[in-house]
Amino acid sequence: MTLIYLSIAERFRNYASLIAVQGWLLLGIALLQLHTLDWLELSFIILETLIFKALIVPAILMRVIRQTKINRISSTGASQFNSLMLSISAMVVSALTTYYVADSSIHMVFFGVALYAMLCGLILIVLRSRIFTHMVGFLVIENGVFLFSMAIGVEMPLLINMAIMLDILMSVLMLGLFMTKVDDQIHTDNSNSLTRVKD
Amino acid sequence: MIYIYFILWLLVAASTFFVKSRKAVHILSGFYITLHAIFAENLFIEKLYLTTSGQFFTFDEIGSLFYILLVIVATFVIIHSKEYLKDDSLQDYKRYFALLMLLITAITGVYFANNIVITWILLETTTLCAAGILYHRHSKDTLEATWKYLFVCSTGIAIAYLGILLLAAAASNNSLNYEELRTLITEGNPLYLKVAFVLILTGYSCKMEIFPLYTIGVDANFAAPAPASALISTGLVNAGFLAIFRIYRLYADTELIGWIRSVMLITGIVSLMVGALFLRRTNNYKRFLSYSTVENMGIIAIGLGIGGVGVWAALFHVVCHTFIKSSLFLQMAVVRHIYNGYRINRIGDYININKVGAIALMVGMVVVLAFPPSPLFISELMILSQTIADDKWWLMVVMMFLLCVVIYSVCQRIIKLCYQPNQDELHPTNINRGLSYSALSLLVMAIVLGLWQPEPLIQLINKIVTF
Repeated sequence: MTLIYLSIAERFRNYASLIAVQGWLLLGIALLQLHTLDWLELSFIILETLIFKALIVPAILMRVIRQTKINRISSTGASQFNSLMLSISAMVVSALTTYYVADSSIHMVFFGVALYAMLCGLILIVLRSRIFTHMVGFLVIENGVFLFSMAIGVEMPLLINMAIMLDILMSVLMLGLFMTKVDDQIHTDNSNSLTRVKD
Repeated sequence: MIYIYFILWLLVAASTFFVKSRKAVHILSGFYITLHAIFAENLFIEKLYLTTSGQFFTFDEIGSLFYILLVIVATFVIIHSKEYLKDDSLQDYKRYFALLMLLITAITGVYFANNIVITWILLETTTLCAAGILYHRHSKDTLEATWKYLFVCSTGIAIAYLGILLLAAAASNNSLNYEELRTLITEGNPLYLKVAFVLILTGYSCKMEIFPLYTIGVDANFAAPAPASALISTGLVNAGFLAIFRIYRLYADTELIGWIRSVMLITGIVSLMVGALFLRRTNNYKRFLSYSTVENMGIIAIGLGIGGVGVWAALFHVVCHTFIKSSLFLQMAVVRHIYNGYRINRIGDYININKVGAIALMVGMVVVLAFPPSPLFISELMILSQTIADDKWWLMVVMMFLLCVVIYSVCQRIIKLCYQPNQDELHPTNINRGLSYSALSLLVMAIVLGLWQPEPLIQLINKIVTF
């Protein structure tokens, strides 16, 4: 549901709220699926999903919205209807792929949703022109990757958690440091202006 | 053992952020390289070589070989950086050196990691360090390049992570150690294994500078200060190659190796094609050298793709390319000092301005184009002979055609720099010919390898390709 809503959302506050909701959902899924794990590993996963995905990342997104005073997606780019159609197509593709690819060792629902999340993230990056939306697309892909790791049944040893955390750290850095610098120096939030470095 | 060194390297790098003079930066960077030299000495003389340190690092043949190359290139990069950045503020100066040291440390970790997740984590760490270096100039161009680098690398690395998860699923095991994975994946789901390889190759292509995510490496080399580009274009590219090569080796005992080679072949051909075409198109000497890296990495991927003696040639090509490309980027650092830019259609008359540098660039041109006595001549000849032995005449024709385009483009651009009338103002600094000589010495090392391949190197590569 959050993924479908992301495809039609116009306000950046909605994006930030949806990312927060996804963070809480992932926390719930992690608690339900991984309760058999060693307490150290489980607490690590809960902490990283709770602190980073559910609290810090949405908070930074909100702060960026306040600082840059950008509220809506750019008028250029695909319409909401086209975006919704693409999103539904992505859902169908994900469902079909899951049906044909997944074997008994894979949790089919998580696999399908993870695939759909990654496609939705890519659609956001490709269709929307604002850098902020690209950032949200990247975060959705990250959430998809997290869900994917649960879908394939690997019991997520501590190392994989560290890897995810490093990725989240990267997202936070990109959000916190770069959005303000891009806005300060390039004086726009439109990715079309990022065309100076080319051949 | 390696953890002690990691702590020391990180401490030295972190201390560099807080020093209050350039002299202190010089002392710390000198100490940092000395630590690496001591570690390299321990590796071979104290017999650390081929042992495992801690749980996650093994000093295997390929890691040790690439590490030696890294230490050599890093030494030159640090020496050249001191001169290149001498006009920068102390704040920028010390931040650059600290990040450079962190980058070298992360690359070292990638070389020795024996666990697929550790490799992944450290490759992501290189993105963080490199991004700081790219933004060194604080201009709009560097900001844009840094943003793109962070964004594309993060997405690429996330894609690679998906591949790693699929590989773990196919192996049905929690251990992600390369050696253990190699035996486990022989019975894995072939579809998962195929998808995993494509995802990992796609993700790591941003580090190895091959198709499809090669563009970000080109932008990184463009934005970074030229000495750092020498490191990114060799040490970091080698790290990307190593990460892919270790995955390639995992599949050696599976039935999928033929399919994997086909994927590498396609990737290599497209990379070579892109490199050849963009060498003609770009108007910036640093981007020009970066496309040359894309072209050479394409040849290396083709070597892995055709298999047999091609794998040996690919390894040898990587070793020699490290010397050649780092030398050319360091020469470009001198060029920038003189012209204050890299615009191909504007700058020229280099032969009269800095004869040593111009001659070094022309020698570099001959060597990078694989004309004898270039060591690349040996590797490319081996790859071409393997294509003939495999009856892949179409591949030989395509490669020859694209290499002709490369030869034309590289000759035209380098000769332009040396002989076309200069249209830009010269930078009012004295030319430091010592740096041109210094960069030339790396090229001499490559030429020596072209004329004489030392037995230990041959033995080392033989061991690496025996799997």
